[in-house]
Amino acid sequence: MRAGPSQEDIRRHNLGALLRHVHLGGPISRAELTSRMGLNRSTIMALTSDLTAAGLVREELPRETGRAGRPSLVVRPESSRVYVFAFDVSPDRLAVARVGLGGLILDRREVARERGSPALGELAGVLAGFARQMRRRTRDDTVCVGAAAAVPGGVRKADGVVAFGPNLGVEEAVPFGEELGRRLGLGLPVSVGNDANLAALAEHSRGVGAAVKDLIYLHGDVGIGGGIITGGHLLGGHDGYGGEVGHIVVNPGGRACGCGSHGCLEAEVGERALLEAAGRFRSGQHGRDAVRAVVEAADRGDIVAQEALKRVGDWLGLGIANLVNIFNPEMVIFGGMLREVYLGSAAQVRSRLTLHAMAPQRERLRLRTSSLADDATLVGAAELAFAHVLADPLEVLARAGS
Amino acid sequence: MTPLLEVRGIDKSFGPVQVLHDVAFSAHAGEVTALVGDNGAGKSTLVKCVGGIYPIDSGEIVFDGRPVQVHGPRDAGELGIEIVYQDLALCDNLDIVQNMFLGRERRRGLVLDEASMEELAEKTLSSLSVRTVKSIRQQVSSLSGGQRQTVAIAKAVLWNSKVVILDEPTAALGVAQTAQVLELVRRLADKGLAVVLISHNMNDVFAVSDQIAALYLGRMAAQVRTADVTHAQVVELITSGRSGDLGIVS
Repeated sequence: MRAGPSQEDIRRHNLGALLRHVHLGGPISRAELTSRMGLNRSTIMALTSDLTAAGLVREELPRETGRAGRPSLVVRPESSRVYVFAFDVSPDRLAVARVGLGGLILDRREVARERGSPALGELAGVLAGFARQMRRRTRDDTVCVGAAAAVPGGVRKADGVVAFGPNLGVEEAVPFGEELGRRLGLGLPVSVGNDANLAALAEHSRGVGAAVKDLIYLHGDVGIGGGIITGGHLLGGHDGYGGEVGHIVVNPGGRACGCGSHGCLEAEVGERALLEAAGRFRSGQHGRDAVRAVVEAADRGDIVAQEALKRVGDWLGLGIANLVNIFNPEMVIFGGMLREVYLGSAAQVRSRLTLHAMAPQRERLRLRTSSLADDATLVGAAELAFAHVLADPLEVLARAGS
Repeated sequence: MTPLLEVRGIDKSFGPVQVLHDVAFSAHAGEVTALVGDNGAGKSTLVKCVGGIYPIDSGEIVFDGRPVQVHGPRDAGELGIEIVYQDLALCDNLDIVQNMFLGRERRRGLVLDEASMEELAEKTLSSLSVRTVKSIRQQVSSLSGGQRQTVAIAKAVLWNSKVVILDEPTAALGVAQTAQVLELVRRLADKGLAVVLISHNMNDVFAVSDQIAALYLGRMAAQVRTADVTHAQVVELITSGRSGDLGIVS
């Protein structure tokens, strides 16, 4: 027989839950916490004073409530003191941010990156260099409590090793987190997650899908990635490679895909497919600007660009119709370059949905564009880095402070 | 669910020309209803009837379940119906706050209450997640097309409006600005407003709408849920008034 949770377990859980409210919802009064968490006032007071003593939150008098009576103290995250490092590796850019508790981006560095170079292993050095620069500029009383990276590849659940990444030039498994952690030299483990998975979690916790429990996020970069959230949980699969929606086959015998198959959603909808169909696939022209130029041209009446978007919109709609039939999401979110592609081909995408998605599933489906835009993956990495802080706030802080 | 705004059996003639024939149309809270149709189909006339610019010859306007009389723009404004016209009607020589309160300025005694107007303007823009405007004391002449559209929409939302009607809000905008305006249109509806979007661009219509109402030669060909129709069907409704079993029965 399994013993019930000990008092210590319950306290740890409640501390984490309270910190999560403050971290995701921003400053909140004690009274509000009492009603949201369903705990009594003295418990909330004990929890907040523990977190305050640890330096994770602080309590202040509210500015003005406009109501009679003694105002309840407002609990704020110590955003400038407690922070994590978030790393984002994408085919065209590298980004590093120092993100404070509460999700505030305190400092960031970004550089453009040549496609395919340098290799993932060497990137760790560049990223760690940026992080060290930022760390030197922080005050002495700040504390780094975690680090995480978003990569456009498959990340093995068991050990965080990047197992594959056709758009990243990864041919063999790379222990990227371990390498980055070693170069950072903070004595902290670096978590690694798939970029689209993390962006899905970011939109779910801080973006357009904040109140939505069942959503599918589609991320367009060179390829198409995805994150599927059902019942509030990210679908990871047995090994953690789940959610690769870019590789559902929509056109058997279609265009060759980087994964070795043919006619994958990514091969028919990805950046290269769009640019080739628009007759714009030349060396040196790629990335978001090239995609935007196609949408712009179509909007101004360029027939070739219009046809290219129609074609891509057709395949995109077909892919989403399959996903909608299987997962019955409340919301589908278009992020990365798919934001522009969706807005420029929505007539095709939704026509396909009408034709191929089952009526009960599509009736209340909402299609939205990402509200975190280009920061979705970075914000997702920061949330991953904060995850273990929220799981056990005091323990993590004690370890980071020592 | 009863629609927030519903018109039934609207007829409207200008002299010998009948522009609207027995038009029915509805807009629900929390939804974007796209109003589409060829040039001269009667979209603008219908909107101006709802907004009180033109008196209707016959028919009724039902707002929030009760029949109402709209005799002028002021009546429409009091009900919570705001229209953002294509030409935006913003004054270039005034700043954003002055434009948003134009003609409805707040006063404190004899002088204008600048502080509270500024605060409310700021609050409205931030509630719409508008981050593209640097200062709300900027003159409107210095704004881009997309920013002007944003200010015009925010101005319509400022008055606790319940129905916002947008006439071609993305015409003449670049792709990046179109995306921002479309996302703003969607946010308005997600905040619980009933939004009516007039547009010629089918991608814009499909990107944000929940329902599509197609006018054909002054008649309502059909009002359908966007999730139930294809692009080709909507184009047919616009160009011929019918598509399969949808549309006007001749």
